[in-house]
Amino acid sequence: MNANTDKWWVGVVAIILALVGGFSVHFMSDSNGAPAPAASNTSPKAQEAAAPSTPPTAPATQVAAATLVTNDYGRARYDPIHFKPAIDKATDADCLKCHQEVLDSKTRDASPAGLKKTDTLAWYQTLDTYAGEQMTFHQRHLTAPFIKKVATMSCTTCHQGNNPRDEVSGTSADSPTDLTMRKMVDPNLCLRCHGQFPYQNMGLPGPWHESGAAFQNNCLLCHVSIRTNRHKVNYLNAAAIEQEATANGGDSCYGCHGGRAWYRTSFPYPRHAWPGAGATVPDWAKDRPTESDLRFLIEGSKP
Amino acid sequence: MANETLDKAKVKEAVQRRKKETYTPVIPVQQFGFVHNNVDCIGCRACEIACKDKNGLAPGPRFRRVMYVEGGTYPDVYAYKVNMSCNHCAEPACLPTCPTGAIFKRVKDGIVDIDSSLCIGCRRCEAACPFGAPQFIPDQNIVSKCNMCVDEIDAGRKPYCVQACMMRVLDIGPIDQLRAGTYPTKAVAPHEKVVRQVKSMANPELTNPSIVFVPHSKGIVEDKGAK
Repeated sequence: MNANTDKWWVGVVAIILALVGGFSVHFMSDSNGAPAPAASNTSPKAQEAAAPSTPPTAPATQVAAATLVTNDYGRARYDPIHFKPAIDKATDADCLKCHQEVLDSKTRDASPAGLKKTDTLAWYQTLDTYAGEQMTFHQRHLTAPFIKKVATMSCTTCHQGNNPRDEVSGTSADSPTDLTMRKMVDPNLCLRCHGQFPYQNMGLPGPWHESGAAFQNNCLLCHVSIRTNRHKVNYLNAAAIEQEATANGGDSCYGCHGGRAWYRTSFPYPRHAWPGAGATVPDWAKDRPTESDLRFLIEGSKP
Repeated sequence: MANETLDKAKVKEAVQRRKKETYTPVIPVQQFGFVHNNVDCIGCRACEIACKDKNGLAPGPRFRRVMYVEGGTYPDVYAYKVNMSCNHCAEPACLPTCPTGAIFKRVKDGIVDIDSSLCIGCRRCEAACPFGAPQFIPDQNIVSKCNMCVDEIDAGRKPYCVQACMMRVLDIGPIDQLRAGTYPTKAVAPHEKVVRQVKSMANPELTNPSIVFVPHSKGIVEDKGAK
């Protein structure tokens, strides 16, 4: 007998195995068949969105949840969640399916020159209310203990989406109108808690670090009866702020009202009427609104 | 080495002394700034590439960005470019955010520079800048930014981006003279007026950026003309 013709079945088995293997790979891969973009060809934001949404050590349930999100970067950028109105209903969990790295990434333990993060402190980090180690700004705004106590910030408090085609607003019908050049967040939003302390409006003799002692470092000395209708927006915890101010004095207030002032100006807060407010509006407040932005109103608080 | 001999009690005392003090902006002897002609810029991005080349930037971070602004409805359509890097603001928002002192402003020319070797990658500066100047370098987990090519400035030359501009629509100069229109530059024609803000740009009152533009007619912001 011919040995070569006797082994015909070996070839058949090999072909069957190859077919089975090929189908397995096909069906276990992404359903839309789109290849994941190469990281080296993408921008940092592309890498952010295309990066694995969970750390390598994430539990299997998280990995399973993450695979529900398409890994096609192009499709992901144009997902309705990045546009109105879907973004207004997006939860943090929705955003973090792709952007988990904003909370997972950490600061360096030491700078390239060897400066340890435990050995450095900025001027604004000397406030009593500033606690904990150096964190990234996303962590400070979402997961730090103090922010969780006094605020209820979410991803969409700051991020309102953008049209990926646009670097500025208004060049397409569906681009958000308040998108400023090169920014994913309107800096005017940051100004609410990172503006100057408007001591002139309050009639104080000088900035808080100069005049605070004269007021026992206690904002509530005056504000127990002035502008008492405050912080009633959906990204702040008004009751906790009052409690914090009562317990810890001016540092708690100053933190957001001058103690972390990145900008030259102050935010023109809406002038909500308060019990006992006089009818006369000072000149500096004449153009101010009397209600907060619509998207920050607490549900059910207005007729 | 220095940390081993650090007197913790003195550090605490110093922290207490500095408590609640505010950041005091540097007032430079002279403030350099940029001028960009939005209308004549053809968007070739040579400035971007020259900048990336100078600073050895990988794909991703861009210290300088040319932004294409297009819009309108046929036949009334328009297109122009806005070109920004770090605006070396009079009162930069990035500087007070930095927990390590990596960011600083030079007294002699107002250039806002960053010593990235001191950066721990908290990215606060990136968030605080209204103009998106600080750029995250992912592979090093640090932030870096335009420093107006200080080495070139100190050598009496102009930054790489300016030198690369084939249309001569980008230039630097003392910002007060640029605002007043008295600085001789090819970026501004004799009949053109400069403005400190164009449409969709963050409010310049936030940080007083050291940049002026020759605006496109569709990019003019009402009531906020040249200072």
